[in-house]
Amino acid sequence: MFEPKIVAFFCKWCTSAGADLAGTSRLRYEPNVTGIRVMCSSRVDPEHVLDAFRNGADGVLIGGCHPGDCHYQTGNYQTLKRVKLLKQMMTDLNINEKRLRLEWISAAEGKRFARVVDEFTAEIRQLGRIQYTPL
Amino acid sequence: MKRVGVFVCHCGINIASTVDVSRVVEDLHDYPGIAYIQDYKYMCSDPGQNLLKEAIKSEKLDAVVIAACSPTLHENTFRLAVQTVGMNPYNCEIANIREQCSWVHKDRTVATEKAKRIIRAVVEKALLDESLEPIKVPVVRKAVVLGGGIAGIQAALNIANSDYEVILVEKQSSIGGRMAQLSETFPTLDCSQCILTPKMVDVAQHPKIRLLTYAELADVSGFVGNFKVKIRQKARYVDWDKCTGCGLCIEKCPQKVASEFDQGLGKRKAIFTPFAQAVPNKPVIDCDNCTYFKTGKCRVCEKLCPFEAINFVETDTYIEEEVGAIVVATGYDVYPVLNMGEYGSGKIPDVVDGLTFERLLSSSGPTGGEVRRPSDGKIPKEIVFIKCVGSRDPEHHFPYCSKICCMYTTKHAMLYKHRVPDGQPYIFYMDVRAGGKGYEEFYQRAQDEDKVLFLRGKVSKLYQDDDKVVVCGIDTLSGSNVEIRADLVVLAMAIRPSKGIEELAKLLKISIDQNGFLTEAHPKLRPVESLSAGIYLAGCAQAPKDIPDTVAQATATAAMVANLFAKEYLLHDPIITGVDEELCSGCGLCVAVCPYDARKTNREKGLVEVNEVLCEACGACAAACPSGAAQQRNFTDEQLNRMVRAILTT
Amino acid sequence: MELSYYPGCTLKANAKNFETSALAILQHLDVTVKELEDWYCCGVCFSQTQDNLMQQIAPVRTLVKAKESNRRQLLALCTMCFNTLKRAIEFIKNDKEKRDTIHQFMDREDTKFYGDEVEVIDILTLIRQIGLDKLKAAIVKKAVDLKVASYYGCMLLRPQEIAIDSPDDPVIMEEIITHAGCENVYFPFRTECCGSYQIVSEPEIVRERARKIVGSAVKNGADLMVMLCPLCYYNLDEVQRDIQEEDATFQPLPVLYFTQLLALLMGLKPDLQDFRLHAIDPRPVLKRKGLL
Repeated sequence: MFEPKIVAFFCKWCTSAGADLAGTSRLRYEPNVTGIRVMCSSRVDPEHVLDAFRNGADGVLIGGCHPGDCHYQTGNYQTLKRVKLLKQMMTDLNINEKRLRLEWISAAEGKRFARVVDEFTAEIRQLGRIQYTPL
Repeated sequence: MKRVGVFVCHCGINIASTVDVSRVVEDLHDYPGIAYIQDYKYMCSDPGQNLLKEAIKSEKLDAVVIAACSPTLHENTFRLAVQTVGMNPYNCEIANIREQCSWVHKDRTVATEKAKRIIRAVVEKALLDESLEPIKVPVVRKAVVLGGGIAGIQAALNIANSDYEVILVEKQSSIGGRMAQLSETFPTLDCSQCILTPKMVDVAQHPKIRLLTYAELADVSGFVGNFKVKIRQKARYVDWDKCTGCGLCIEKCPQKVASEFDQGLGKRKAIFTPFAQAVPNKPVIDCDNCTYFKTGKCRVCEKLCPFEAINFVETDTYIEEEVGAIVVATGYDVYPVLNMGEYGSGKIPDVVDGLTFERLLSSSGPTGGEVRRPSDGKIPKEIVFIKCVGSRDPEHHFPYCSKICCMYTTKHAMLYKHRVPDGQPYIFYMDVRAGGKGYEEFYQRAQDEDKVLFLRGKVSKLYQDDDKVVVCGIDTLSGSNVEIRADLVVLAMAIRPSKGIEELAKLLKISIDQNGFLTEAHPKLRPVESLSAGIYLAGCAQAPKDIPDTVAQATATAAMVANLFAKEYLLHDPIITGVDEELCSGCGLCVAVCPYDARKTNREKGLVEVNEVLCEACGACAAACPSGAAQQRNFTDEQLNRMVRAILTT
Repeated sequence: MELSYYPGCTLKANAKNFETSALAILQHLDVTVKELEDWYCCGVCFSQTQDNLMQQIAPVRTLVKAKESNRRQLLALCTMCFNTLKRAIEFIKNDKEKRDTIHQFMDREDTKFYGDEVEVIDILTLIRQIGLDKLKAAIVKKAVDLKVASYYGCMLLRPQEIAIDSPDDPVIMEEIITHAGCENVYFPFRTECCGSYQIVSEPEIVRERARKIVGSAVKNGADLMVMLCPLCYYNLDEVQRDIQEEDATFQPLPVLYFTQLLALLMGLKPDLQDFRLHAIDPRPVLKRKGLL
């Protein structure tokens, strides 16, 4: 079975705490996602995402606080806007936009964290290894 | 290259049962950048920490990565430990291989591989971490309190008693606020003014408090510890330095106007103090109603004043002050009866709101404490109280509970019964919420001793019929319709944040919630702070609350202010995003995404400048910067890219 | 100004005075109303109280006809029709699932209705749109000290989503009455339920209500009562006759459709109205006040 490589960016306040909760709850989920803890999802530069794809990531997951709950008031809205544009750009670059996913996961949503990781892993597994041809 | 040491914790079996720790150590031994790697059973234990410190010294490590539990647990522990051997704490990083690895996977090989990926990524970060020092910001140890009701008074007194200077700003000419309007207070029935006025006098006499009444906040800039406030002193047309408060002008003023303090029931003059015990007890001229201002004739007060204190040409002035903290205690207004179509839209004179009834009960009120109804001055024999008017009605008005009505309505009925022993009070209620010390007992007393009749149900309409107000309601406990021909109806109207709160919130850059109240930083753990550092919230501006809760919250704000002022400098987390002047083109993209106004475009220099104190380190600007000039410290593009690659290399 | 007109059953049967007077005043105010060529029962508002979606086909079919007429506004004089049609628009607009089901059942109609194409309007709002000044200018008769009690009933004011004015404290009728040169009588039961269909099974409920509503208007000095709902009209006019029979002391109050009064004030031919249809004869009052 194809085991995709997935890079994730989790905001410190919500999603990373949600991932910790999944851990303390001893939930089981797919091991393909490796997370990087950033202060806020809005720290994620589209270039980091593209760089991940360029270096062989099959998928990129970004986790932030729910709308209205951002620790930095508006950070997650910035992320939302950027991800929208980035997905268009990915289509232009011939990367399936489904390979990038933005999810709102709160510190209380351990179960949701596990589910998102499993779903996303399954989806990327179905999409197969990334075929990236430089322009 | 920096020498990075890695310490892999077993956490007993918590990590070691799924992650093959010795395998991790072996595999990463030759990873470029790792100068030293070791595992240990419990890194957080004293021996674990000693081992860490020893290794830093003996191996001459520049940075360490502790592969263990979540950084929320022991990041601080390890950072303190490395500091003791001279390492900058920002060179200590945590790789979370427990919550995000060993606890969520079963397969040993898979978990071990993932742990290695996590550690490699964090090592890459540590290699480029800078040594950072907390940013030091000097604090102006003076506070401004906005609002001179019980919340503002309490906050100001407590801050001043901690020996810090306070400016208390009140928009009316006297402090006292809503509490000064109340008759007696639940559940002890002590007279509101009797317990409030001594505090008002304390404020006026306190050497550390500067009292600015008839004034309001005009502008604010700056940040925690260093605010600049501009306060508008409204024209009083009376020189308070000369005025002795003798009251001759008030006595002789020919113009009478409905008194706001008496909720329109009594009259005041055009030159007036809102109530007899006002602090300061000096009058102002209400220029909208003054005969001289309206017709150009009169000037009676000017002629009579023995001290030549009247000054008709006075204008608004502005006072600028630097303060370190702001307390917002602007209080509440009563939702107008006008909005209640089913209760006569305010057109029936004997249907009044609760605050108006307070004035009818107050011994300093327009009726001298006798309960006389507004229309004809008769003493009401049957009186209906309706609770939850506008509150708990998400469809038409407000979803929230106004919190104080259950208790004050019970008090109203009780006080009425004390004044009119042969009268009958009825209370229509949805629920009785008597949570609070002595509250339930108070409610029971109203029923048992004072024979207040509680009817569980809503009133669908009321109307004037001859000299009665007919109240049509339902008693849901007996399931029957109830019609009461009342002499007076008192509506427990919803309470609203006071008028102008939106503008004030905008000025202070703090947020308001969906119901218009100021938002606290955290509903449970930070209930007296706003989301902006250095701005604190007290009283009903934040949410409806009674006097004890208000006093408690106000005292808490004072504690927060004293906490802030206790240090000469504020320490600010240094992982802020700066500007590389060589790379910055001054495009301003980062300025637009900053939620804290920490970044400003300097057009002259063609650069963006950063106020490091305001930066909260989200990094949104760093992601927006097209040139790489904005780099978040210890979260640089280079670091993040290397972390990504470290995860992807096999 | 041109709009479609949906009469509904009652205006062609029991409420003839309502239709003739309303159409006459609109003509007088230069408004052209075109009756829909083919219309059906509105469904009657109580169909809305049930979950059976099929009962909604009737109003939606009428709205389809209105859409096909290519006129944006559809005047419904009968307040019950107004209420039914307006609420049908609400669910068509807001409940996609129900809309799809209805569409599937309406396979004979070529036109699909989505809610925004037609605006159902009542005559009060229409008069406001025409302009109160224009109305004022059209008034030629001066009523002598005529005190009018405006009765709203419920259909124009509830539920909130379709209300034309505040459900608890409406002003629109009084506003028009003022501009028509009459005096308003405020009485607390002007938005009270008339008893509605209880007249069929429990007429005593309606009698009690009528007594209360009429009594309150009389007490407050009304010379007559005006309204817009044919059912309210029936319950308050006809029922007064029953009350009179059992209670000789009962003081009756003539009841008119709102538009009847306006037509008289505009000086339109009185014989276009058939005052014999009233249970409580309004002619003595109207003569006394100089309107006949």
